[in-house]
Amino acid sequence: MPKTPTADLVAGPVAPGVPKRNPIIVADGVSRRFGGLTAVDVAHVEIPANAITALIGPNGAGKTTFFNLLTGFDQPNTGTWTFQGRDLARVSAYRVARRGMVRTFQLTKSLGLMTVMDNMLLGATQQPGENMLRALFRPLWRSREDEIRVRAQSLLERFKLDTKAEDYAASLSGGQRKLLEMARALMSEPQLVMLDEPMAGVNPALTQSLLGHILDLKEQGMTVLFVEHDMHVVREIADWVIVMAEGKVVAEGAPDTVMSDPAVIDAYLGAHHETDLGTLSGQLEVAKGMESDVVRSDIEEAAKDAH
Amino acid sequence: MNLNFIWLALGEAISPTTAAYALATIGLVVHFGFTGLLNFGQAGFMAVGGYAFAITTLKLGLPLPFAFLAAILASAAFALVLGIPTLRLRSDYLAIVTIAAAEIIRLSVKTPELTDITGGATGLNGAAATFNALNPIPDGRYGIGVLTYTADQLWVRVLGWALVLIACLIVFLLIRSPWGRVIKGIREDEDAVRSLGKNVFSYKMQALVLGGVLGGLAGALFILPRSLQPDNYGTQLTFFLYTIMLLGGATTVFGPLVGSMLFWVVLSLSDGLLSLGVRSGLLPLTSTQQGPIRFIIVGAALALLVVFRPQGLLGKKKEVFFSA
Amino acid sequence: MTANGYAQLRKRPRVAALVGVLVGLLAALSASALPATALGVDAPRTSAADVIDPDTAAETIAVWIRQTSDKAGIPDVAVTVEGDGFSQDFTTDKDGRVAVGLPGPGTYTVTVDEGTIPESAGKLPDGSNPREVRVVQTNKNVPANFLASTTAGTGTGSTPAPSGSAGTEAPGGTTGDGTGAAVPQATTSGTGFWGIVSAKLATGVIFGLLLALAAIGASLIYGTTGLNNFAHGELVTFGGLMAYVLAGFGAPGAVGIIGAVILGGLFGFVQDSAIWRPLRRRRVGLIPLMIVSIGLALATRYIFVFFFGADRLSLPNNPSPFLVLGAVSLRFTDVLGAVLSIIVLLAVAFVMLRTKLGKAARAVADNSALAAASGIDVDRVIRSVWIGAGALAALSGVLIAYYQALRWDTGSAILLLIFAAVTLGGLGSAFGALVGSMVLSIFMNLSTLVLPENLKYAAALVVLILILLFRPQGILGKRERVG
Repeated sequence: MPKTPTADLVAGPVAPGVPKRNPIIVADGVSRRFGGLTAVDVAHVEIPANAITALIGPNGAGKTTFFNLLTGFDQPNTGTWTFQGRDLARVSAYRVARRGMVRTFQLTKSLGLMTVMDNMLLGATQQPGENMLRALFRPLWRSREDEIRVRAQSLLERFKLDTKAEDYAASLSGGQRKLLEMARALMSEPQLVMLDEPMAGVNPALTQSLLGHILDLKEQGMTVLFVEHDMHVVREIADWVIVMAEGKVVAEGAPDTVMSDPAVIDAYLGAHHETDLGTLSGQLEVAKGMESDVVRSDIEEAAKDAH
Repeated sequence: MNLNFIWLALGEAISPTTAAYALATIGLVVHFGFTGLLNFGQAGFMAVGGYAFAITTLKLGLPLPFAFLAAILASAAFALVLGIPTLRLRSDYLAIVTIAAAEIIRLSVKTPELTDITGGATGLNGAAATFNALNPIPDGRYGIGVLTYTADQLWVRVLGWALVLIACLIVFLLIRSPWGRVIKGIREDEDAVRSLGKNVFSYKMQALVLGGVLGGLAGALFILPRSLQPDNYGTQLTFFLYTIMLLGGATTVFGPLVGSMLFWVVLSLSDGLLSLGVRSGLLPLTSTQQGPIRFIIVGAALALLVVFRPQGLLGKKKEVFFSA
Repeated sequence: MTANGYAQLRKRPRVAALVGVLVGLLAALSASALPATALGVDAPRTSAADVIDPDTAAETIAVWIRQTSDKAGIPDVAVTVEGDGFSQDFTTDKDGRVAVGLPGPGTYTVTVDEGTIPESAGKLPDGSNPREVRVVQTNKNVPANFLASTTAGTGTGSTPAPSGSAGTEAPGGTTGDGTGAAVPQATTSGTGFWGIVSAKLATGVIFGLLLALAAIGASLIYGTTGLNNFAHGELVTFGGLMAYVLAGFGAPGAVGIIGAVILGGLFGFVQDSAIWRPLRRRRVGLIPLMIVSIGLALATRYIFVFFFGADRLSLPNNPSPFLVLGAVSLRFTDVLGAVLSIIVLLAVAFVMLRTKLGKAARAVADNSALAAASGIDVDRVIRSVWIGAGALAALSGVLIAYYQALRWDTGSAILLLIFAAVTLGGLGSAFGALVGSMVLSIFMNLSTLVLPENLKYAAALVVLILILLFRPQGILGKRERVG
């Protein structure tokens, strides 16, 4: 899958907030404050449709918070945004997902006490059996269940998890859980897939396959927006890169252009000038005030994958 | 030596009280075991159901079906009142709100000002009259040995256990359905389920109402063989239900049934053995020291179960979501 | 189910209370004193020969005679109450109860005429009849319970033994059901509305301080370990009981208090070492920990019953007024309790703010992983917190025993108040717990101006729920964490 050239994406000179030819998300004046700290303060940004966009930036730049806002998992102090031309600001998370915008999480949220297959089935939409009264009568939901089971099976085969279908998700490796989470998100046939650090804690053997899957999504006509720290990954698959620092969008552009921009390197790296951008992979984002158990599970996750 | 107590203890396995506890615990399993809702106020649901039942029959003089309907509606309304504001909050907040709400119910019905309706601190008596009037079983004595029941005693047992089995069946069907899948997803990680387009709040509310209604029906069943006493619905009742739930298995449909039977048989047996020991002079206890022992047993059992066998008798260790 | 009896006997109709408030406001406006009887306080004392109406008497005894087997009241039993030149005969009503209005505080002897108890109901246990009942100022419905049994035993008084399957009998006469029955509190000499308000305020402040002692420990435990400790009430009861034991050995009050605090700290230490630390090691989750604390609470509470029985226990106390401030009259122990609480709370504040241990505790509460990473021995801090919480709770227990009443469930009866205070002040914040306790206690006691007395506990729980709904971070907590 060749990269989409810059000229096909933008409708104007490349700069932060540049309008896109075919935007899927258009956000304006989005801000989110925690106490005295402004985590997100995005004046204007557009996400191009049917492309792979990477959202990068130093720790605490507000990338994940921005993600949470767009997907309804957090509420902004100010701002509006549209998804496929329809207003989506302050819509609750589950409705956002139903509109075709699904996400994964930085700390993988595979449901470990359910089987891999049940995880997948949970991702499906339009299952009448999820209604409490209809659930009591199996004939009312059985045929849909068969349909989504077939779809789940084929997705699991694609992600090479089919042999694990009846295992508890807790028995999967960290990388496999990332795969499962992505596969599960695809059950609902979304238009936009938002991946929060898809490569974090994934062992190198699985990295290539994960990258392949992300590229596949674009090929199938979906749009991908992902947060990532590993610059090699960004370079390899992203058509477009948006750089955030201190809550703002500070740069945009094609991967090669953006990463050679000294201003970006400055903003991005802060004190770590001598660090090669490519070696930042897999680093843990430990935000200030983060709950200890989250930090702990982060560390455990990383340790598990290191073995 | 009189060993009748052994038979009587075994008889506890099918007593209406055991059925009522099993039913309330099924509700708790829906809340805690399958949805992960930390409801520490199941006693409150039982109280609401019991009072609704008793007031409808005794004060309004309505026929039995209305009384059961009132118990269902009242406990569902209680679930809504509790759930709307709290289901968005952290899970331990729900625990404190529910335990407080249950206590508020118990204290409020006791106020002398409400004596005309609730019977105040003495409660209400005779709610079973309309129930017994519908008893189709001909008068007589049924059973063997010391386990002999009057027609009314048999009737309440039959209906009580029928209710329990119906509840088990409904919950069993629900849990194995896609609805149950969503619920189990929520108990583990509600954000994950939300990200998949499910209205988590609505599901939690449905589960709260379902479990609450089962609690309310249990409250009605509970007062059929006895009078309604407000102080029966203290926090200890909820803790007993937790013990039963953990005994049978918190993530199982039939655990409450087994748990409740075992709980009451063991308690009755221990009571009987203690009495025997005291009367024969083997145990140096006064009669007032006998009573507390069962509570000490329950407390210790609760603490030990949750640590050493969180899956209970019937559950699978791998599905224990709350021990990590 | 003695509580029922008391609750019924208490006649504080809402209407009367409302009228009282309105009249009181009018009185305040016109700056004129109000006849105290309008508010049902300080009824005129009658001479010993008259039958005193228990509804208006300032001090009453509630006699309740029941059968052990089914707890049914035994009607038409003759009872004689004597003391201090007062002697009167009564007969129990259909529930086996009788309320006895008294001419004033003192020690009374309650004698049941066993000949009037039907043979089918059995006999009273040896040594339970006659019974001496101590009544202090404004002590209403002091229980005198008798249980007749067909199998003659040696037990006395009522038993909390679970009857049948219900098993949740709430004992009477405690704060447990919020009726606050038989609780001697700051008393008023009865000069109108403001007299009552100031008395209630005084009760609120003193009880708030005592509650704060317990709540701070609970808050610290929650802060450092995340545990909602349902067994915290038992730490409180333990303190009161230890003081009772020491008093039984003839120790003076001061020794009793100090001893109870030391033993309470020891209890906290033993609990942490034997239960909580091993469970932390096993990485047991917070929900099971909470359930363990429930089981522990249940077991401990009934171990107390096992050893101390179910009756009210009293510590030797001088009921005479020590400090009279306007309409408020306080006993020596009331004043001592308040002063002691303030001193201890200041000491806690000093420890938390100025010492290495306090700073470490706050660091652990903030982020235990970070604290551990920066070289703090988290286990040691938590152990210290448990010792401190145990000692503080024990002090609270002793002082509550002096101030109100001591029973096996004194602490568990205020458990939800402790939670409410902790929540109100902001979960995990020690100073919040203090503020929360004071606000809650004053609110609770003032609420009785408009609400029936037995709903004050419920009112406090309503506040708890409202706080959780509208300001879950508490009064002092921060709205959102940064991150």
